[in-house]
Amino acid sequence: MLHIGNQYLPLCSGGTRRSFLQIGAAAMAGLTLPNWLSLEAAGYVDEKKAKIRNCITLFLVGSPGHLDTWDMKPDAPEDIRGKFKPISTSVPGVQICEHFPRMARVMDRVALIRSLHYSTGASHENGQRWMMTGHDFDAANKQPHMGSVIARVYGSRSDLPASIILPRGIGNTGATTPHGQEGAYLGSAYQPFILGSDPSAPDFKVADLVTPAGQTELRVEGRRNLLHEIDEVQRQVETSSTQERDTAYARAFNMLTRPETKKAFDLSDESPKLRDRYGRNTFGQSCLMARRLIERGTRFVTVNQFDTVFGISCWDMHSDGGGLNNTYADYEHVLCPQFDLAFTALLEDLQQRGLLEDTVIAVLSEFGRTPKLNARGGRDHYPSAFTNFLAGGPIRGGRVIGSTDKIGAAPHDRPVEPPQVIASMYQAMGIDLETTMLPGPGGRPVRLIDAEPIQELFS
Amino acid sequence: MDQKLEGTPKATLQLDGRAVTRSEISNDWGTRLQWQIKRDGKEIATTTAGLELTYEHPDTAPGKYEVVLQQFHYVNYNKDKEGKFTESKYINISDPVSYTV
Repeated sequence: MLHIGNQYLPLCSGGTRRSFLQIGAAAMAGLTLPNWLSLEAAGYVDEKKAKIRNCITLFLVGSPGHLDTWDMKPDAPEDIRGKFKPISTSVPGVQICEHFPRMARVMDRVALIRSLHYSTGASHENGQRWMMTGHDFDAANKQPHMGSVIARVYGSRSDLPASIILPRGIGNTGATTPHGQEGAYLGSAYQPFILGSDPSAPDFKVADLVTPAGQTELRVEGRRNLLHEIDEVQRQVETSSTQERDTAYARAFNMLTRPETKKAFDLSDESPKLRDRYGRNTFGQSCLMARRLIERGTRFVTVNQFDTVFGISCWDMHSDGGGLNNTYADYEHVLCPQFDLAFTALLEDLQQRGLLEDTVIAVLSEFGRTPKLNARGGRDHYPSAFTNFLAGGPIRGGRVIGSTDKIGAAPHDRPVEPPQVIASMYQAMGIDLETTMLPGPGGRPVRLIDAEPIQELFS
Repeated sequence: MDQKLEGTPKATLQLDGRAVTRSEISNDWGTRLQWQIKRDGKEIATTTAGLELTYEHPDTAPGKYEVVLQQFHYVNYNKDKEGKFTESKYINISDPVSYTV
């Protein structure tokens, strides 16, 4: 027997859940769940709540040129060194671009990795996959996002999802292959929750956390009860999958209805002065939200600085005069200042709240950019050498790992590959890579990442 | 989706001789800040407003100087043939202050 409103509806004799669904009854119980939980989700969320550090990854979609930012070559010829000048930092002997003056003051807390490289395709998507999963692309064996790995192995610390992406997933960056920000073989229960809206917008709200139009919370609760009754029917014919799904549903309803989980996304709770310190723009406010989410139990937050490279000001400095017409002007007037403000605000804010010891910050990108300026004064994709950096947790700041040659064309010493950066992030989070396993494709246990951490980051 | 910069940044300036001190920026867009200097109504210089809040323009040629703080208002990424923005531009975010040399 099912209760729908005040009416009792008998099921067809011998009816199963599937047959009930076929006549559309499930549509009556239909509820818009957060995207990362689907009706097919059968993942089991580990409730062990292990004590590992958190991680905030800032993903610089489009990818800054290393010679114009954090690996400058002021002695190189003009068509290589580019327009910008280096400035000294708080670390003697370390220079970075003049347009990062705030970051220059805190370089003693940052570890630069200047000798990153890989030799497979120079597409945005390939770089995204390398730096988000630690793996090269294999269409038959797609790999999960780091945040999904953490969610699978360690579960959540609270009612918030273990892995969240702000503000949007990566969309069109040129190819239709995955961006490395999915749950992959771990299943849809481990897809990161994607915010889906701009936290700097005056009318910002989290789409999937808003009670559907026309619905009161009483009706939402009523639908929850209906779904529960449907699943009770299903339990008669099915077993573990329904019970496991309940965990996912429980989390979805908690997100929709509990004030404290909604509050995690409420930036109006922050002082205007702090919001200004991060910068009143999409990236700055996303960084601020990342801090809030970490404070309230999310283990892994990824901030995509952009969701495309076409038709917007972003790091993809091809200067092509068309849809990829980012130039030095974008770097100078928009991108470098916004990054400088937001990154240092996040570092300082975490430190002031006593969270920096327990939070690893990773600033990653897809690749570097060609050492020689192109005919239009821009730079193109270049995975043979690039710079990313880490801070927080046990990461020892004030150091530079590796170097490139005189024109930034190739690693000169200590070459580093993307899986080593991922391994370093996991180690910084406190994960024992030798003993911690993940259920891999087909369920066989695999290492989280098949690479060794960069030990110089820790000693 | 492209970023949209909302609201209006604001700062106040205080003048002490030729030295101009700015306040913190409210509604800071995070884009580049610069000082614009005019003499006798004509722009003679723009310079990055760095982390130091006080700026003193070095030019002491006689005339009436006006100093204002500006921030880059990003609207879209449209650019001219030289790669310079066409619709995004600097706007005043403070009232000007002036002094005479």
